[in-house]
Amino acid sequence: MSILAVTRREWTGRRNVLLLALGIGVIMVLGLYFEPDLKTAHEKASFMGVFSGTMLAWVIALMFGATMVSRDLEERRFGFLLNQPLHPAQIFLGKVLAGLGLALASGALASLPAVLLSGLWRQVGLRDVGSVLGVGLAGSLSLLLLFHAVSIQVRSRSLWLLLDLAAWVLFFGVVRWLSLRLIEAGAFPEMLHLWLVLLAGVTLGLGLAGYLQVAQGRTDLQWSHRWVSVTLASTLGLMLLVGAVDVAWVLKHRPPAVKAQPRSSRIH
Amino acid sequence: MTSQVEILPVACCQVGVRYGRTQAVEEATFQVEPGQVYALLGRNGSGKTSLVRCLLGHQKPTAGRVELYGQEVWSSRQVLMHRVGVVAEEPDAPPLMTTRQLVRFCGGLYPTWDQAGVDGRLSRFRVPLDLPFGRLSRGQKGQVSLALALGPKPDLLVLDDPTLGLDAVARREVYDELLGELAERGTTVFITTHDLAGIEGLADRIGILHQGRLLVDASLEDLKARHQKVSWAPTQAVDPGDLAPFAPLWSRAGSLGGEAILTQGDPSQVPGMQVHALSLEELFVALVGAETEVAS
Repeated sequence: MSILAVTRREWTGRRNVLLLALGIGVIMVLGLYFEPDLKTAHEKASFMGVFSGTMLAWVIALMFGATMVSRDLEERRFGFLLNQPLHPAQIFLGKVLAGLGLALASGALASLPAVLLSGLWRQVGLRDVGSVLGVGLAGSLSLLLLFHAVSIQVRSRSLWLLLDLAAWVLFFGVVRWLSLRLIEAGAFPEMLHLWLVLLAGVTLGLGLAGYLQVAQGRTDLQWSHRWVSVTLASTLGLMLLVGAVDVAWVLKHRPPAVKAQPRSSRIH
Repeated sequence: MTSQVEILPVACCQVGVRYGRTQAVEEATFQVEPGQVYALLGRNGSGKTSLVRCLLGHQKPTAGRVELYGQEVWSSRQVLMHRVGVVAEEPDAPPLMTTRQLVRFCGGLYPTWDQAGVDGRLSRFRVPLDLPFGRLSRGQKGQVSLALALGPKPDLLVLDDPTLGLDAVARREVYDELLGELAERGTTVFITTHDLAGIEGLADRIGILHQGRLLVDASLEDLKARHQKVSWAPTQAVDPGDLAPFAPLWSRAGSLGGEAILTQGDPSQVPGMQVHALSLEELFVALVGAETEVAS
């Protein structure tokens, strides 16, 4: 119940975003009337509806993440929640839930009118709907948590930012190197699998960093940054280790790639 | 010792707060008894807010231990906040929520919420319920914060300079509300303030924090009994040496006569010297002033 109370509190004053989403949805529907060929119009409108809905959800998630805690900390308003009998997990989850709810509701409002009017809903199965929702939700969650961490790091303006930059540069550098090893071995599905595992792991780490920022950093922006940085750097390090082990295993157990045999020079 | 500490609303033991190389609070030790009104006084930057943040579990002290009702605040903040009402120095409620929404939000978090009491207070304060908190005046924000803090019928009320920026009428309303609460429920109050005249009639015990150190931790009665204010007319030739037996804390002499705050003896025996009632403000200025002189 307390989590939902925090969620409702976060929605207060942010509901105007839903109007914006509805406006975008209407614009997508108008596309139906500017295309002479009805079939093409339906396809375009439904594609644009889903695309813009997903993009809007992601933009709202990242904007929400960038302000949900760090702005309160900067404006010295985070103490209000800490003065209530709320567990840090309730505060953090309540805020994350509010961000996800707002992002998904906006995405749905922006895409549904075009999807419904174009008749796309008749052609798609439950699996397709699940895929779109899954991508929207996973992307929104990752972006919300990432931008929460980044906003804490940027607003605190402490030297821990150097550790953050070093950790990210090292992470992407090693992931690129691991991906190249897999590409050389022709292991494309394994590379995509590796990326998904890394994304899931980093998202989990970002969630943990966000929770620890609230639980341990509390109203101190510098301490918050320290907790975010240490947790995130540890997560990135751990995920690199997981990635390296995974790639080593794939390269060891994968049958050698079929190489073209040199043609014989002998003329029969 | 342990059983006594368990029932104390507030117990700070050797609390230190450090920001980098700056020592904001140094070995502060004090206790607040049940039903007591403890006023923590100090100049700006003396470390009061850091101490309050430790007291509310917003910040972990770099040294020492802070306990509320026998439990360490940092690790038990959520449980303890059921018993604590807080008015922050800067009103910190979400600016877009209306007073009505704030009351509903806080009311849902406490099983002991006194809705009738909150409605009564807001009505007495004449606060508009449907205006966003951010659009209320400074005084109204303070009043809403106080009404919300008293809503769960707290055992301990922590007020961080609740009268800051309030006009005389709003200040009086805050103190009247506090007096009512004290008379009705005997709530323990921990208050930091610069309004020394306002708190003088309320406080049982005084702590004075200066440059991070707790200079004084005593009951107001004791403090007043230990210090005496005297004055003398310009025609009276009072020499600094004449004051020495009374261990003056602070003295001033000029063409209009002189005055001093003495810490021992009976100055009424000295011809031409008049003894006056000592206000908390005069005592505070003398104590902090004397300490500043020693430091410089």
